[in-house]
Amino acid sequence: MRMARIKTGIPELDEMLGGGFMPGDAVMVAGSAGTGKTTLALQYLVNGITQFGDRGIYVTFEQLPDQIYRDAKNFGWDLRRMEEENKLRLVCTSPNLLLEAEGEYLLDEPIKEIQPRRIVIDSMSHLAMFVKERELRKEAYRLIMYLKTKGLSSLLTWEASEMVGRSLSVTGVGLSFLVDCIVLLRFVEIESSMRKALLVSKMRGSDHDKRLREFEITSQGIKVGAPFSEYEGVITGAPRRSITEEAARAWAKAFTGKT
Amino acid sequence: MSQGREILSRLLSSEVKGDLLVLFHKNPGLVDTMDGVARRIGRRANSIEADAKDLVDLGVLKTKRIGESEVILLDRARDKEIQEITSNYIKSLKTGGGV
Repeated sequence: MRMARIKTGIPELDEMLGGGFMPGDAVMVAGSAGTGKTTLALQYLVNGITQFGDRGIYVTFEQLPDQIYRDAKNFGWDLRRMEEENKLRLVCTSPNLLLEAEGEYLLDEPIKEIQPRRIVIDSMSHLAMFVKERELRKEAYRLIMYLKTKGLSSLLTWEASEMVGRSLSVTGVGLSFLVDCIVLLRFVEIESSMRKALLVSKMRGSDHDKRLREFEITSQGIKVGAPFSEYEGVITGAPRRSITEEAARAWAKAFTGKT
Repeated sequence: MSQGREILSRLLSSEVKGDLLVLFHKNPGLVDTMDGVARRIGRRANSIEADAKDLVDLGVLKTKRIGESEVILLDRARDKEIQEITSNYIKSLKTGGGV
């Protein structure tokens, strides 16, 4: 029997994921600033609430909730109302408090209050600033295992400034192996315009679409489009048009006079 | 003096309290240490401590221990009650009673 998936509610992305994320998995959404990590994370929670009846918690270190309420409203998402209806909790705190291991855990209360199924930590890279590099993997592992123990499907964002050009490193500090699924968001320059691309680069225990797809941030949130089928080298940051059979024939004709 | 009047006068007795109330009402999910809260309104912990403690006494804010740190957060249920009491008091002023 196939396991029910945790759908993002973005149809094309769910299709890429073979139906959605695996329940209880820790998913990392990595990308440089402005690629849409926070939008994707919010959409995952909002769609969970409005389409699938999954309550959610959003943990932020960087932005105050006030700013998040406002930005979400631009997409038509009324987070304040969702909070009043006990379907959502926005927790704004300092990273070191989330890592406190003694006694009551910071998330125990909101988890008890709304019994969520989904959680977003925005962002793990901010949390990494408060932990020594050699401690980071241990602390991240502890956090991920806490979320799994509570039965939560987590989405962790990671700001990866180096993911431009040819570098394929996701976190640079070895967190990739701790998570079950990685979704990469990146800018690509194609024909002198900056476009956005999405790739599912890892998904434990499930097949997934390995193609790079274009996406846009619209007034309704993220919309995933078609694969970059006419280009190759997009992921390395040096895209060039793929030579199609037709183009190859035209080249051959031009040079040899034969087809 | 009515309960509403007493609460209102305590809530509005300093600029820091006003800043804290605005911060926590705009961001009801904020959970942070005294130092962290102070930083979010551009002040230092020692300059907000007394006012924050008064808001804890009133019940708008509450404290709890997370590991080795004491954190401050909005007491959502008590805050709703206080808002109701103060709003009823203000209404009664408009209708000419309750002072």
